[in-house]
Amino acid sequence: MNVRCLFFARLCALLAAFWSVGGAAGELRIGVLAWLGDRTAAAQWQALGAGLQARLPETTVRMSYHDMAGLENALAVGELDFIITNPGHYVVLEVRHGATRIATQKIDPGRDSEHAVGSAVIVPNGRNDVRTLDDLRGKRIAATVPDDFSGWLTVWAELKRRGIDPESGGVTPLFAGLPMSRVLETLERGEADAGILRVCLLEHLIRQGRLPADRYRVLSPQDPSAPCLRSTPAYPGWVFAAAPHTPDALSRATLVALLSLDGRNDALSWGVPADYHPVHAMLRDLQVAPYDYLREYRLGAQIRRYWPVGAGLFAVLLLWLLYTLRVEVLVQRRTRELSAALATQQEIEESMQAQRQKMEHLSRLSILGQLSGTLAHELNQPLATIGNYARSLTRRIWTGKLSEEAVAQAAYEIASQAERAARILEGIRDFARKRASRREDCDAGKLVGETVALFRGMLARAPEVRIDDRLPADCRHVRVDRLQVQQVLLNLLKNAFDAHAAIGQHGQAIDIVLEQDDDRARIAVRDYGPGLAEADRARLFEPFFTTKPDGMGLGLSICKDIVEAHAGQLDVSQPEEGSGLRFSFTLPLATGKHHDAS
Amino acid sequence: MTQADSDPVIHVVDDEAPFRRSLLFLLESAGWTACEHESAESFLAARPPLPAEGGCLVLDIRMPRISGLELQRRLAALDSPWPIVFITGHGDVDLAVQAMKDGAVDFLQKPFKDHAFLDAIERAVNLSRTRQEASRRSSEARELLARLSPREGEVARLLALGLSNKEIGRKLSISDNTVHVHRQRVMKKTGAGSAAELARLILRADPDGLDGQ
Repeated sequence: MNVRCLFFARLCALLAAFWSVGGAAGELRIGVLAWLGDRTAAAQWQALGAGLQARLPETTVRMSYHDMAGLENALAVGELDFIITNPGHYVVLEVRHGATRIATQKIDPGRDSEHAVGSAVIVPNGRNDVRTLDDLRGKRIAATVPDDFSGWLTVWAELKRRGIDPESGGVTPLFAGLPMSRVLETLERGEADAGILRVCLLEHLIRQGRLPADRYRVLSPQDPSAPCLRSTPAYPGWVFAAAPHTPDALSRATLVALLSLDGRNDALSWGVPADYHPVHAMLRDLQVAPYDYLREYRLGAQIRRYWPVGAGLFAVLLLWLLYTLRVEVLVQRRTRELSAALATQQEIEESMQAQRQKMEHLSRLSILGQLSGTLAHELNQPLATIGNYARSLTRRIWTGKLSEEAVAQAAYEIASQAERAARILEGIRDFARKRASRREDCDAGKLVGETVALFRGMLARAPEVRIDDRLPADCRHVRVDRLQVQQVLLNLLKNAFDAHAAIGQHGQAIDIVLEQDDDRARIAVRDYGPGLAEADRARLFEPFFTTKPDGMGLGLSICKDIVEAHAGQLDVSQPEEGSGLRFSFTLPLATGKHHDAS
Repeated sequence: MTQADSDPVIHVVDDEAPFRRSLLFLLESAGWTACEHESAESFLAARPPLPAEGGCLVLDIRMPRISGLELQRRLAALDSPWPIVFITGHGDVDLAVQAMKDGAVDFLQKPFKDHAFLDAIERAVNLSRTRQEASRRSSEARELLARLSPREGEVARLLALGLSNKEIGRKLSISDNTVHVHRQRVMKKTGAGSAAELARLILRADPDGLDGQ
């Protein structure tokens, strides 16, 4: 005590000397954090203001009350010389605004100021399922407000230390608001499983008889022998701090005044400033103000540190996505293209088929057109003959000269001429009809014979056609479309005829040779016309190539198509001896030994 | 059916046997005598004379080797008296024009009406008879004129041209009397009653008989 008095005396003397040297007297503006509104705070801190005023008579002590943001703002703009606030808030203001603590409140007389603040987590005594803080996992816990130091932050830090992070859903905080009695009300209503009270409040309420002693118990008491049980570490108490611009002399004078207060109540109990590192560590750990930047820092730092990896991963992911997308698009496009190609191919094949049928038909019509003159003659002949006989008979009846002999002769001639006309028409009709390809087995020699007959029937004075059939007896059947092969033969015969006509040899005979060529039958048509130059022979099968003045140049190209459709080959060559051309084509022999009935 | 050599005959030349036979049958129905030839060559080989009562040819235009038109030309070259009726299966205008220019009686396209054909035959046969008559009278005239002496012939020609005796005498450098004597003989030998009649006779014998003074 002695020492202390001596210390104070010296200090006062020193300050007084300094003060007098400074000579400046003025205001002492103190901002106080008001948790529970200005009035409550004013009532709480009125004694301090009065005590300081008494000890610093030359200055005017002015107390002002603020919420957290207001206090910080007032400090920032220089309206305050000193502040009084809780440890958490102080740390914020120290970091952000350079506030310097000069004293720490001593809450519980007899206890050091280093361990003044902490929290007790309480549960109703009946809750046997919750014995320690660890049992709070998944439970609801009632607190005051999120930035309350002893009403939430201390417990949060402790829970987090135990691996139960409220931010990860370890426990569910229920913020009941201020004052702290609301926490108890929430607990009473059964809305929460546990509640947070600042240290000693429970004991205080029990002492005052406002709570039964056995109603709540404190979880995980850290120091069971202490008069107040707490579930968290103890932290330094409220802080009296100087603003950065506050002159040192004023700070010292104020500190002296503070320390010399009599400590009759909490507001008047101040001690030497405590070490606030534990508070810093706790807030840093929680990454709340003033260390809230750490959240950003943490995320930002990770991004900054790992961005190449992240970017790489992202790029890979993006590439994979693009690749997948690309593959999908390609697959779809290829599928579309494929089906389009298939459709196009089918269309082309159909159109080619239609075109070929049209060409065949055209060729038939073209041949018909070229032969129509002789055809008319051919039909005129039997018609005129029949007419003559009929009129002659009539005439003979009139003149009474009708004899049975005459009637018999006329009737016979009329009938045979009618049959002749019918044969011509039938041949033409079969030939001109447009039809789909139809394969059947037939005797090659017979087919050639029929075609030659048809050819001769279509011409007024058909030339002789000599058929040299060298096919062996067991290889005579070909599998063909009869009409198409007839068309090829007719074309070749017509060409031979035209070649002879071109040099005025209408009556020149045409040669046809049938022979076996491996597994095929070869049919060759030879004329004795002027022949063709090598260059023209090469172009002979091109569509629309013609050597005839009125030819369309389609006949041979269609013939080639037809022969090739029969897996055969149509060739033209110069005969070994004599003039003219030799056209030959092959037809597949029928595999079975069919015998054509027709 | 008996027939005299002078009866008219129709010759049908066509390579199409059935049609040729039907034409014969038709012609016979109409009472004509008809002959058939399968080609121009066979007709030319036969070269039948035109009977006194006439006749005609029925030719197919298109035939192998020698066509109908070709046969017409060859017959004309031989001074044949046969009138020709052409028959064709094609309506070929050029051929028809050519045939008619060369003196064909008709040009028929198959199939044709029987009376059109028979009319054509009738006309052709009549034409042949007229030609026959003209030829007979011409040879008669030539026979009469052949009886005249050369001098009488000269006098007859000048008379036919309408010259007087005096003019003839001056032209021939003979006396009027001599001309008169020749004239008497000419009129007697030819039986002509006048100079005009004499002129007709000379022209009948030779259509160019009065040309070239």
